[in-house]
Amino acid sequence: MIQVENLQHTFLIGKKGKEKQVPVLKGVNFEVKKGEIVAIVGKSGSGKSTLLQTLAGFMKSEQGSIKINGKEIANLTEAESAAFRLQQFGFIFQNFQLMPGLTAFENIELPLKLQGTKKAVRKAKVKKIMDKVGLTEVADHYPNELSGGQQQRVSIARALITNPPILLADEPTGSLDSETEQDILLLIQSLNRELGLTFVIITHDEEVATIAHRHFRMYDGELVKEEV
Amino acid sequence: MLFKDQLDFVTQHIKKNKVRVFMTVLAATMGCAFLIVLASVGFGLQDSLRNEILSNEKVTKIQVFGDKQFTEDEIHEIKGIEHVETVLETITVNASAHSFFEGRDTNSNLYVTNMQNFEQVNGKLAEGKYPSKPNEIIVGYHFAQTLLNDAERNIIVEKNKKAEVEGTYYDGNEEGYKESLIGKEIEMSLVPNTGTVEETEKMKYTIVGVMEKPSNDWMINNSIYVDVEQKPVLAANLVAGDVKEDEMFYSEFNIFADSMENVKPILDKLKDKGYSVYSVTEELDQMNVFFLVLKIGLIFVGTIAVLIASIGIFNTMTMAVTERTREIGVLKAIGASPKLIQRLFLMESTFIGIVGTLIAVAISYVISFVANAALPLILEAATGEDAFSKSDIIFSLIPWQLVIIASAISIGVAMISGYRPARKATKIDVIQALRQEL
Repeated sequence: MIQVENLQHTFLIGKKGKEKQVPVLKGVNFEVKKGEIVAIVGKSGSGKSTLLQTLAGFMKSEQGSIKINGKEIANLTEAESAAFRLQQFGFIFQNFQLMPGLTAFENIELPLKLQGTKKAVRKAKVKKIMDKVGLTEVADHYPNELSGGQQQRVSIARALITNPPILLADEPTGSLDSETEQDILLLIQSLNRELGLTFVIITHDEEVATIAHRHFRMYDGELVKEEV
Repeated sequence: MLFKDQLDFVTQHIKKNKVRVFMTVLAATMGCAFLIVLASVGFGLQDSLRNEILSNEKVTKIQVFGDKQFTEDEIHEIKGIEHVETVLETITVNASAHSFFEGRDTNSNLYVTNMQNFEQVNGKLAEGKYPSKPNEIIVGYHFAQTLLNDAERNIIVEKNKKAEVEGTYYDGNEEGYKESLIGKEIEMSLVPNTGTVEETEKMKYTIVGVMEKPSNDWMINNSIYVDVEQKPVLAANLVAGDVKEDEMFYSEFNIFADSMENVKPILDKLKDKGYSVYSVTEELDQMNVFFLVLKIGLIFVGTIAVLIASIGIFNTMTMAVTERTREIGVLKAIGASPKLIQRLFLMESTFIGIVGTLIAVAISYVISFVANAALPLILEAATGEDAFSKSDIIFSLIPWQLVIIASAISIGVAMISGYRPARKATKIDVIQALRQEL
């Protein structure tokens, strides 16, 4: 489903004219099969977030190939990349990234609005997904009226609402206490089992990696170890 | 994204920043209203002058310069030009008509013309009909008013003295013959302007029509119009009064087009044929060019105000983009296209422009109405002249064309000022935006 080959990226750091080249991705190769949960574990600065951002199309790699279901996405334009994300990816962020001025319902509805779905269809879909992730009670609450766990559930519901085949999660439990972390990990596992969704989880937390079918260790811009 | 959802998105953000958006709309309103009101002065003055020119002269009239006398062949040739309605010969009698009626009398100008042609160009009368018999005449609107007896003349003299003390004048409209003159027979003698002889013998005429009131209040028309068939009778009368034959009548020829649009082509053709002709429309053309330049100038000055207001819109939109950087980042991350993001912000600045313009148009009409009502009174109070309140000067006029021009400028400028911030929004880096704290 996801094939990454020889992905390379370098950051330029320092004053203009005196920049220093810092390689962050040094030829990364990996593959994710449909319905898998794959964790990429690594310390801060190891390049794992850059890998996810490149995968998502937020930034362009200098070299290498990213294929999703056989389609090369490394060279898409910004607009093409946005359209691809809207159809193929769901995102779960560490700090939830919810719109503060929108209710839980409206936040979940947002990707459907971007797709141009009609209101009645949106309403039905959002209700269904809210039931699934256990948010029915807080539909009209604003993000600042929700707990961390509830906010992450809203974030997960928003990621799922367009039925994307792939979910990319960047430190999904990074802002949660250990009890809530377990809840969210169980939710991810059940979504994977029931809906057959593919997850790519970036984390520094070994505990999170335990739910993955496979995990890669990222070290200094390279995927150095694969543990099963 | 559906258009309705885009609108919802924009209105949601506007509601969140009511005060800031209100102040920006206010600035846009002031700029646009200033533009409209300023330019409306140009439109108003042009309209006043145009009305003034057109009220004095019939628009379709083409005057012939000098004392050019047309031959029958020339008249035939001119009538042959396309869209020429008629060639009207108006003969001024070189004598004033002294009319007598029921112990009253008046002096007036006497004109001889072909009544059929005259009716064609002059149109409807205030009262009665055009002459169909030789001894029938029509008179000017004020003829009855100027028919006075000695007692009334004394009253007018008194009233005039009183008016002079007050710095005004009295036109005698309260005196004169008050009943209809239609069907009444008057006696008329001629007083030659040559000054060589006394009054001629009296002739009897029946008044069958009264001309329309002149377009300007200050114009008094008590002239007498007789049919051209009466010319020999008048000539015989004048001969008896010892007036030389070549000093009796002066002819003036006027050519009339069938509509205002056709005046210019007829003028050109007549000039090509060597006639010295003139039309009030030429004056209008020159005036229109002058006012076009004036109006462009005023709109340009007004546009500066709109441009100043646009700085406010630019600032508001830049603030909006900066404040919403994280939200824009999230939108981009979950799949919003750069075009959509640009459109959402452009819609917001356009909304400010449209609302500002709509309010400005309404306010401008109110200001224009108040200015037209109050300015004459203010000027009268300041100068002591009542000419301002009595005249039909329009100080401010807002035609629909001005509304369209001002709206296009105002909304266009609002969109342009929102363009750069909107472009900035599309360039926001997703990664940087998502790192921003709430």
